[in-house]
Amino acid sequence: MSEDKKKELLEELKEGVINYDEERVKKAAEEWIKNGFDANEGIFEGLAAGMEVVGDLFEKNEYFVPEVLMCADALYAGLDILRPHVKIDESKERLKGEVVIGTVEGDVHDIGKNIVKLMFETAGFTVHDLGKDVPLEKFVEEQMRTDSDIVALSAMMTTTMVGMKKVVEKIKEKNPNVLILLGGAPLSEDIAKKYGADGYAPDASNALSEALRMVSTLREMKKKGEI
Amino acid sequence: MTPKERVLGLLKKEKIDRVPCFSGMGNVTVEGMKKYNIKFAEVHKNAEDMAKLAASTYKLYGYECAVVPFDLCLEAEALGSEINWYAHVEDNILYPTIKTKLVKAGDEVNIPDDLEERGRLPMIKEVIGLLKDDIGDEVPIGSYVLGPFTLAGQIMDLNELLKISFKRPDDVNRILTGLVDVATRVAKLEKEAGADYITIREMGAPSDVISPRMFKTLVQPHLIKTIEGIEAPRILHICGNTNPIVELMNECGADAISVDQKNDLVQTRQKIGDDTILLGNLDPYNVLVQGTVQDVENAVKDVIEKGVNGIWPGCDIWPDVPPENMKALVEATEKYGKLS
Repeated sequence: MSEDKKKELLEELKEGVINYDEERVKKAAEEWIKNGFDANEGIFEGLAAGMEVVGDLFEKNEYFVPEVLMCADALYAGLDILRPHVKIDESKERLKGEVVIGTVEGDVHDIGKNIVKLMFETAGFTVHDLGKDVPLEKFVEEQMRTDSDIVALSAMMTTTMVGMKKVVEKIKEKNPNVLILLGGAPLSEDIAKKYGADGYAPDASNALSEALRMVSTLREMKKKGEI
Repeated sequence: MTPKERVLGLLKKEKIDRVPCFSGMGNVTVEGMKKYNIKFAEVHKNAEDMAKLAASTYKLYGYECAVVPFDLCLEAEALGSEINWYAHVEDNILYPTIKTKLVKAGDEVNIPDDLEERGRLPMIKEVIGLLKDDIGDEVPIGSYVLGPFTLAGQIMDLNELLKISFKRPDDVNRILTGLVDVATRVAKLEKEAGADYITIREMGAPSDVISPRMFKTLVQPHLIKTIEGIEAPRILHICGNTNPIVELMNECGADAISVDQKNDLVQTRQKIGDDTILLGNLDPYNVLVQGTVQDVENAVKDVIEKGVNGIWPGCDIWPDVPPENMKALVEATEKYGKLS
């Protein structure tokens, strides 16, 4: 009986996110907690699973930015209810890594960055969000302060993308082991490589999988004592 | 033919000797800044320097136009937005941005009666006049305005604007109707000052951002009104993925349409036919800045073969473009662009 209820509520959380239905997500999240189910499971198997489908719909040009933003709102509504119930040690165990994220100086577009941040947070990363129009030195400082594994930079326009090269150089100069992930409309794999970044993601769901790949590589290298 | 005869001839669909090499968007270069000892962060508020820099790409390379302004904040500033000029940034070229959003998304936008007297609008008038006196007999002077939807995204929170575009389209329609007036009034000021052609930049509305459906119902009607309200010739530009909306762009009534490198030119030609003047597609960064002279020449040849009517980079040229690539751009146009 309880398993059926669980399944039903997970489906509600997921469908609520996909159909950008905040009320539906809230109701399911509250019921989830009332039933004493595991908050983390609700986040990952329900909310995040829904957002994954949203990512697919975006990639297939069925959803566009307004739809994705509304799905993100629904996800946040569920997260607000479920997160306080996540058991502390459990959340620690799930901690994937730390990320500094921001939009480079001169760029005031932060929609893409916010969606990537949401994906990271949902997946269990600790995210240090510097916001938009962030001066170069801020990225370097924040990475040093937090000792984050990843710095994720976003640019929406060609005119600001070119500033990324300097940020990558500066961060690597201070700490060559930091992994740098670039994203945003004008970027490509090729440019990311030319700028000296470790990863590139064309959209938010790819940003998450790329970050997970980068972190596991980092952990491997640390284990082997290579860095 | 002079560049002016060639460009205006093209836009009027008259017979010309070859395709022109020009743009309706940013094309100033670091070389131009060096020539006149101008700092990019300071040029936006200095009429004389702006005119000098705008003319420099023609003077240095024979690029067949001069276009002002250089940034995208003109209208928002005139409406009352505070601008970040990045004057503190020494070693980097940054375009001005808007510091804080003027109104809450969905709220009424107050359009001042004396809009033309506000912000840098009087200055732009002066700059266009200076350019006219300097090179206006032989070189066409271009200017631009933002499309209503893009301007809305400048003066209110973009996240919220996109969401209410979905949830409360009537509110957004009302706001955009007001902003059509801003666009046409600014264009009129630019025209009266002597601009030969106006580009309408609606870069907030490609299919990477909003659905073609939303473009048709919410953006296109206001673009049509904007274009109706501006004296010809007018070029409609949208960057990003325009493949699903290029026919809708073509229906907006502009004298030419401009797209960027994400557009599939061959398919676009099939969709819109041969009558429409099609510009753009040439990659302003990967080819012009990062590419070799040979890459530039190949790109010029390629876009002409695929059906553009002018060599016109898909967006602002990044100022740090190598001089040899700018030279190659103009020379390749002369070589491959002959029309008989």
